[in-house]
Amino acid sequence: MKAVVICQKMGIAAFLYIRKMNTQVEIKRKNRKSIVLILIILTAMIIMAAVCMFVGSSDMTIGEALNALMLNGTDGHERIIWKIRIPRVLAAIIAGAGLSVSGLIMQTTLNNSMASPSTLGVSNAAVFGANLSIIAFAGGFLSTGNNLTSYTVGTNPYSTSLMAFLFSTASILLILSLCKIRAFSPNVVVLAGIAVGSVWTAATTILQYYATDVGLSAAVVWSFGDLGRASYKTVVIMLVVVAIGTIFFQTMSWRFNVLLSGEATARSMGVNVDMLRFFSMLIASVITAVCVSFLGVIGFVGIICPHITKKLLGHDHRFTVPMSAISGSMLLLMADTLSRSIGNGSALPVGAITSLLGAPFFIAVIFSRKENHP
Amino acid sequence: MIRIDNLSFRYSKRTPPILKDINLELNAGEVGILLGKNGSGKTTLLKNILGILSPKGGTIYLNGKDLLKMKRQERARLIAYVPQNIHFGALTVFDSVLMGRISYFGIKASTADYEAVERILADMNLESYAMRSVEQLSGGERQKVAIARAMAQEPKLLIFDEPTGNLDIANEGLIIEEAKKLAREKNIAILSSIHDLNQALSFGDKFFFLKSGVICHSGGADAVNEISIKETFDVNVRIAKIENQKIIIGGTGKCI
Repeated sequence: MKAVVICQKMGIAAFLYIRKMNTQVEIKRKNRKSIVLILIILTAMIIMAAVCMFVGSSDMTIGEALNALMLNGTDGHERIIWKIRIPRVLAAIIAGAGLSVSGLIMQTTLNNSMASPSTLGVSNAAVFGANLSIIAFAGGFLSTGNNLTSYTVGTNPYSTSLMAFLFSTASILLILSLCKIRAFSPNVVVLAGIAVGSVWTAATTILQYYATDVGLSAAVVWSFGDLGRASYKTVVIMLVVVAIGTIFFQTMSWRFNVLLSGEATARSMGVNVDMLRFFSMLIASVITAVCVSFLGVIGFVGIICPHITKKLLGHDHRFTVPMSAISGSMLLLMADTLSRSIGNGSALPVGAITSLLGAPFFIAVIFSRKENHP
Repeated sequence: MIRIDNLSFRYSKRTPPILKDINLELNAGEVGILLGKNGSGKTTLLKNILGILSPKGGTIYLNGKDLLKMKRQERARLIAYVPQNIHFGALTVFDSVLMGRISYFGIKASTADYEAVERILADMNLESYAMRSVEQLSGGERQKVAIARAMAQEPKLLIFDEPTGNLDIANEGLIIEEAKKLAREKNIAILSSIHDLNQALSFGDKFFFLKSGVICHSGGADAVNEISIKETFDVNVRIAKIENQKIIIGGTGKCI
């Protein structure tokens, strides 16, 4: 009798062990599926980057481009590849990743699926800063008395980007300081972002009203997102900021997952929700500010890519953070290739292409949204 | 085991106090029920215990440790919360329960965390659901996953805010039974707010009646009577006994 009981217990233990092993195998299989999907999109992104490098207004063949890439081409071809196309492709990869990851994190921290890097009015502030630099300071009315013939380009090529960055950072700090009063309630952050953003837009309009024709056109052209402005220096600065930000978001991925359960639950699990929201918003905004300052306004990447990612992989931030980054790079590369293919010899603003792609997608997301999660 | 002395809370100096001199004691394995009208301070009291709100006076001790002086993670390893409205995001049941271990692992879950989750899923018969998305589950199943997530914190005190608020009658009974079983088997104290008095009677061991932020009656099942209900809810009820079980009937009076 005793032997039967022992056998029964051993049987149960064996059954539980097999079931446990099965669960572990299933978890590994599920995680591997997500990783494989990320690797597929990464491969597609690398292929897209190569395509992007071989497409342009010059009539260079793929063979000539490859020779130039290996430093065996003509001076002209090597200059096009190494001075124009490679910084452009790198800028697309880095800015696309940064804007997309920023969008994903803002959607989670604000519990709002429509949040994006423009939610805090970062882009509006950057546009104002750049407009102020172009219209008022860089040979504009403050230094020339609005005399069109005296209009010159500023001596420092980075002055416009610097002004754009300073104003967008100031705007972020203003909004986050205001929101601290209300303990970073998501609705308060969104509303404060809209309010402050509209102040910058109004200020830009007033500034443009007093601008010269040349100043106005220069300011408007700046606000079009353009990857052609990228240089190796700007690429390195963007890379450092985007890489640090993305690594931070990746390490916080479980905390973001917990935040999906609601604020009270997250607090009860020991997550410092206010600090997480503050630093996430700050870092996401700084990433946006740096990208927008160097490249101009590139809309909708921060909305389209996080939504595609969530449709493919669910809401687990361990996988959605890298996937968002890669899909953002992919989208911006596609938009850039498209803008140079249909531009009839000149590249259309990439910001316009992403918005053209983004608006219909945005509408589709709104009408197909079943769940309430960000 | 949990002991609250003279706890008071108000949102700011300009607003009236929400909780006044709350005294409450609950032992391991016991289920305490907070009863009171909407706005009487039940959820505010639970949030003060959880550390979501900071009390303006008084003390909360759990197993002899001062909760108000504890770090967030330390507190999260002692107290877990099952909210009324449950959200998870599009995650699997396994990952949702693993979330409960965040106060232990912080950045990356260890093998010990995975094993703890496997044990809890087995204990609560949720193993077959492990790889399913929580979004595909029914209300009762999601509630069970929320309890499993709370259990992953290995708490000494489990707090429920209206645990059966969104459930049908079958799932109400199931969740109450599951929670009671956990309290008894794992020697965990449970503190819960509940609106339905009959459910409260079947769930609780101790009852605390809150009126305008003050505990006006407390005690065992005997404390749930016509007088305490009348004073707390301003309604007249009758209490009957069917198969030796107390049943509260009716409820006439002014509604606020």
